[in-house]
Amino acid sequence: MRLALYVTCLVDLMRPSIGFAALRLLEAAGCEVVVPPAQTCCGQPAWSAGNRGLAAGLARKAVAELEGFDHVVVPSGSCADHIRNVYPRLLADDPQWAERAAAVAGRTWELTAFLVDVLGVASVPGEFAARVTYHDSCKGLRGLGIKAQPRRLLAGVHGLEVHEMADCEECCGFGGAFAERFGETSTAIVERKCDAVAAAGTDAVVGGDLGCLLNIEGRLRRRGDESTRGLHVAEVLAGPEPA
Amino acid sequence: MSAGGQSQAMFFRARAARQAGDVGLRRTLQKARPLFVGKRAKGIAGLAADGLGFGALRTACADIRRRVVDDLDVWLEIFEERARATGAEVLWARDGAEIRRHVLDIAARHGVTKAVKSKSMLSEEAGLNEALADAGIRPVETDLGEYIVQLAGEAPSHIIAPAVHKTIHEVEALFAAEHGRPLQARSSADIPAMAREAREVLRQHFLSADMGISGANFLIAETGSAALVTNEGNGRMVTTLPSVHVVITGIEKIVPTLEDFASLMRLLPRSATGQTISNYVSLLTGTRGAGDGEGPEKTVFILVDNGRAALAGSDFADMLRCIRCGACMNHCPVYFSLGGHAYGWVYPGPMGSVLTPLYTGIENALDLPHASTGCNQCGVVCPVEIPLPALMHRLREVQVERRLRPLAERLGLGAWGWLARRPTLYRLVVRLAARYLRWLADDSGRIRVFGLAPGWSAGRDLVPPSGPTFLERYAARKKD
Repeated sequence: MRLALYVTCLVDLMRPSIGFAALRLLEAAGCEVVVPPAQTCCGQPAWSAGNRGLAAGLARKAVAELEGFDHVVVPSGSCADHIRNVYPRLLADDPQWAERAAAVAGRTWELTAFLVDVLGVASVPGEFAARVTYHDSCKGLRGLGIKAQPRRLLAGVHGLEVHEMADCEECCGFGGAFAERFGETSTAIVERKCDAVAAAGTDAVVGGDLGCLLNIEGRLRRRGDESTRGLHVAEVLAGPEPA
Repeated sequence: MSAGGQSQAMFFRARAARQAGDVGLRRTLQKARPLFVGKRAKGIAGLAADGLGFGALRTACADIRRRVVDDLDVWLEIFEERARATGAEVLWARDGAEIRRHVLDIAARHGVTKAVKSKSMLSEEAGLNEALADAGIRPVETDLGEYIVQLAGEAPSHIIAPAVHKTIHEVEALFAAEHGRPLQARSSADIPAMAREAREVLRQHFLSADMGISGANFLIAETGSAALVTNEGNGRMVTTLPSVHVVITGIEKIVPTLEDFASLMRLLPRSATGQTISNYVSLLTGTRGAGDGEGPEKTVFILVDNGRAALAGSDFADMLRCIRCGACMNHCPVYFSLGGHAYGWVYPGPMGSVLTPLYTGIENALDLPHASTGCNQCGVVCPVEIPLPALMHRLREVQVERRLRPLAERLGLGAWGWLARRPTLYRLVVRLAARYLRWLADDSGRIRVFGLAPGWSAGRDLVPPSGPTFLERYAARKKD
C-alpha cells in the first residue's frame, strides 16, 4: 500500500517530530510512505477567512499533489477534515476538479482513523511511561467522528495510563485566526481547558491536532505550569525519536 | 448593551476583550453553564424512554420548519385567515418602527397606561419599552429574569435566561431598591423567597395593567393560535388578565398543524432547559367568548418581518428554522466566556452571530461571523439542524466578496496564499521562520512576547520549533 503523508504546515514548521512519528507508525504498519515534496498548506486558513478563491487555489494544488496514492494520511483532524469535507464542496462547481477533489477526499484520513479504521491496527508496539489525558479536538471529533481510535491505540501502549479529564470534548479556544483575532476570548476558553487538564493531574495532555496542543501548552506555561506537556498522539504512539 | 434595538455589534471586539477580562462575570457564567449543558444532555437522553432518537426527531422537526420556510407566504395567509376567523386582529410590521407604531396605536385606542409583558425578543428588536415609556405607558417585564434586567436598565444577555449574568447579590440590590426595603444578606437558599417577593409586586401589575404584550413560540396555522411555552406562570397572566393582548412575533414562527407543534415540543423544552415539557404550555386562540371565564377582549397579532423575508430563498434560509431554544449559546465556548452583552444586539451566541449581521446589516457587524472557533458544538445540538458554523462561514465569504475586510488582513492573506502556491519559495520562508522563532525564544526556551501575534502572546507562551522544518530534515535524511 502506497500512501502520501501530508504533514501539515504547522507540523512542518512547529514540531517536525510529529511528522517523523507518523512516518514511523505508518512504516511499522507495513505501508510505503511518500512525502510529497511540494506540499505547503491545505488552505484552511483561507477558507476560514472567507476567501473562497484562495482556498480553492490551494485545494487544487493539494489535490494535484495527493492524487495517485492509495491513501493520504494527515496527522491532524482539522486538516484531514478540511480535505475530506471541504474540498469536495469547494471544487464541486469546477468541472475539471470536482471529481478529482472528491476522489482525494474519499481517500484522506486522519492518522489514528487510518491506523484503526483502514488498516485495522489493534495496537502499536510502543512504550511510553506517563500518565496522560486526551483532548478531543473539534474538527476531528465532530467533523470526522474521531473519538475511539486514538484511545484504542493509546490503551495498548506499555507504561501509559490514560485518565479522562472533565469536558474532554470542549473546544480549547484555538480556532486558528480566532486565537489571534480574539486573543482575550480565546485565552478565557483555554483557561477552562487548562483547569480541566490540571484537575486530571497528568504528565501530559495528548491530542491529534498540534494547533490545539500549542494553545493548551502555551497557556499552561503562562499559568506557571512548567511540566505538563502537550503531546501529539503520534509522538506518544511512536515513542521517542531514535537517535 | 443599552436596550432599544440600537446595535452595538460593530464594537464586538472591544466589548469581547472587556467582557473576557471580567473575572466575576466569567465566574457567574461558569456556574450556569454545566446546568444548561447537563440538563439538556439528560433531557435528550430521556427521549430514549419514549422510544425516540434525537437524530431522527431533529430531522423530523427540521423538516416541519423547512416546509414552512419554503412556502412562508402561503402559510402566513392561512394563519392570517384562521386567526381573523377566531376574532383576532392581524397586523403586519416591516420593521421595529412599524411594531412601535402599531403598539402605540392600539394602546391609544384602548387608553392603555400600563402594559405587562412576557418575553418577546421582537419587542427587543423594536426597542419597544423605550417607545412605550416615551408615550407615557409603563412597560413592566414579568418574566423573573426579564424583570431583573429591566430593573437594572439592561437588555437580556440570554434569550431564555435573560439575567444569567447577574449574581444573587446584584439581584438583591435591585430588589431592595425597587421594592423599598433594606438590603439583606442572601444565599441561593433565599431564591424562592426572592421570587415570591417579585411575584407579589408583579401581581399588582397584572391586576392593574390594561395591555398584555407577549411573544409566541409558535403560530399554529391550522387553528390561528399562538403557542406559548413558559415556566413561571406569568405568561398566562399577561395573556389573559388585561383586556387587550398583543402578540408580537416573527413571520417565521409558523408551524402548520397542532400535530407539528407537538413534534417540536418534544425538542424545544429539552433543548432549552432539559425539561421534557415546560411548566406551562398555552395555546391562545382568539378572544374571550361568551361564557369564557377569562381571556382578553381584544387580541392582536403583530407579525414582523424586520429582515426575515429577505432570508427566504437566500443562502441563509436555514436560519429561519430557528425555534429560539438557546441551545447554541448554551454550548458555545465563546458565549460562555463573554456573556450575551458582548454581542451588541438582541440575539447573542452563535444564532446572534448569524442573525445580527443579517438583520442589522452585514457591514455593521463585521466581527460576529468570525467570533467562532469553528468547534460546531452549536451545530450538533441544534434541534432543527441549522448549520450555524456554515452560515457564519458564508457571512465571512460575503464580507470578502464585498471587500469589507480590513486592508491589512487582505494583504496578509493574499501574500501568504501567493507564497503557499510557490513551494520552493515557501520552503525557504518557512526555514527562515523556524530560525526566527528559535531566535525569539528566551533562556527558558519559550517565546513570551511575540509582536507578530500579540493576541496570542498576551495570554499564552509559544513553544518554538526544536530545529529545522520537517521537510528540511526529511530531505536531508533522504540524501544520506
